Amino acid sequence: MTNVMTDWDLAAITALLPIAAVMTILQKNPYHALVVRGILGAIAALVYALLGAADVALTEALVGTMLAITLYAVAVRSSLVLKLGIIAPVNLPEIELDNGASNGQQDAQQNSNPEDLVHPVSKSLEEIFNLIHSFEDPQELKPLLEDLRVFCDRHSLRLELHPVPDRQALDHAMETKEVHGVALVNGDSSAHPYSVTVRVERLYELMQTELNPAISTLSTTTIKPPPAEKPLVSDASSR
Amino acid sequence: MNWILGPMLLILLIPIYESFQDEDIWQKMLAFASVSTKTSIMILVISVLRDDWMIGVVGVLVLSVGNASLMLLAQVLKRVNE
Repeated sequence: MTNVMTDWDLAAITALLPIAAVMTILQKNPYHALVVRGILGAIAALVYALLGAADVALTEALVGTMLAITLYAVAVRSSLVLKLGIIAPVNLPEIELDNGASNGQQDAQQNSNPEDLVHPVSKSLEEIFNLIHSFEDPQELKPLLEDLRVFCDRHSLRLELHPVPDRQALDHAMETKEVHGVALVNGDSSAHPYSVTVRVERLYELMQTELNPAISTLSTTTIKPPPAEKPLVSDASSR
Repeated sequence: MNWILGPMLLILLIPIYESFQDEDIWQKMLAFASVSTKTSIMILVISVLRDDWMIGVVGVLVLSVGNASLMLLAQVLKRVNE
């Protein structure tokens, strides 16, 4: 090895590895940390190859750089989200199901072509998907949502709105833990135009200091766990 | 030819510094692409200097895989920003 490169070269290239590691640690945004983790993986592969471990370098490049950061990007994207339930009218389009429930099972049995059966359902799913993506912020909630978006950007969260038709559905979404919090428009008599309720303790702590108190009142709630089901196995062991 | 590794190392420091000081995620991705390519070229140079073809094959694989992972990560990040 020494006839190819000096020890100083070797030391200088190896010193890149702790530098990249410290850079990864110092990142605040999880997505930025993932990209810098990719840089760390590339440098690690270089160092391993330099020290003669070609198999380790290949594994680092394949698993450490490619698989790990892709999986982590998907995991971070799906977990760092704040689901907020709001009351908003959802105008579902009239979806016609040609071979659907109205004609019963007889039509479905007579119709032997499977494509005719699948087509209207998939078409309606596509329409619902487009509808969800074209959903815009309701006018009456604009100031609150702007405040929340600033909050979410600061903590690299993604704000996801769950529009439901009425108050009952909102409470149900909260009980079944479909949403992390709900936002309501207060009446004109109230001092604050909006009230926000979150069920996650940590979110409540963060929002308490960072949301604009002039816009909304904040409260937290705990969801009672569902009653424990009877154990399937009878207590034979206690006898 | 051994002197070439020193300048290559200095050039490798440029995108590393860029990835540290720039807060834009796409600038970081560009720096990642740059580092990924530069390190694999360095692996190839080392393999030629040592006349070790096993390291050479690893260098070629890292060169291709680095870009593939970049494409995958960019797709995910693009969906996040939408």
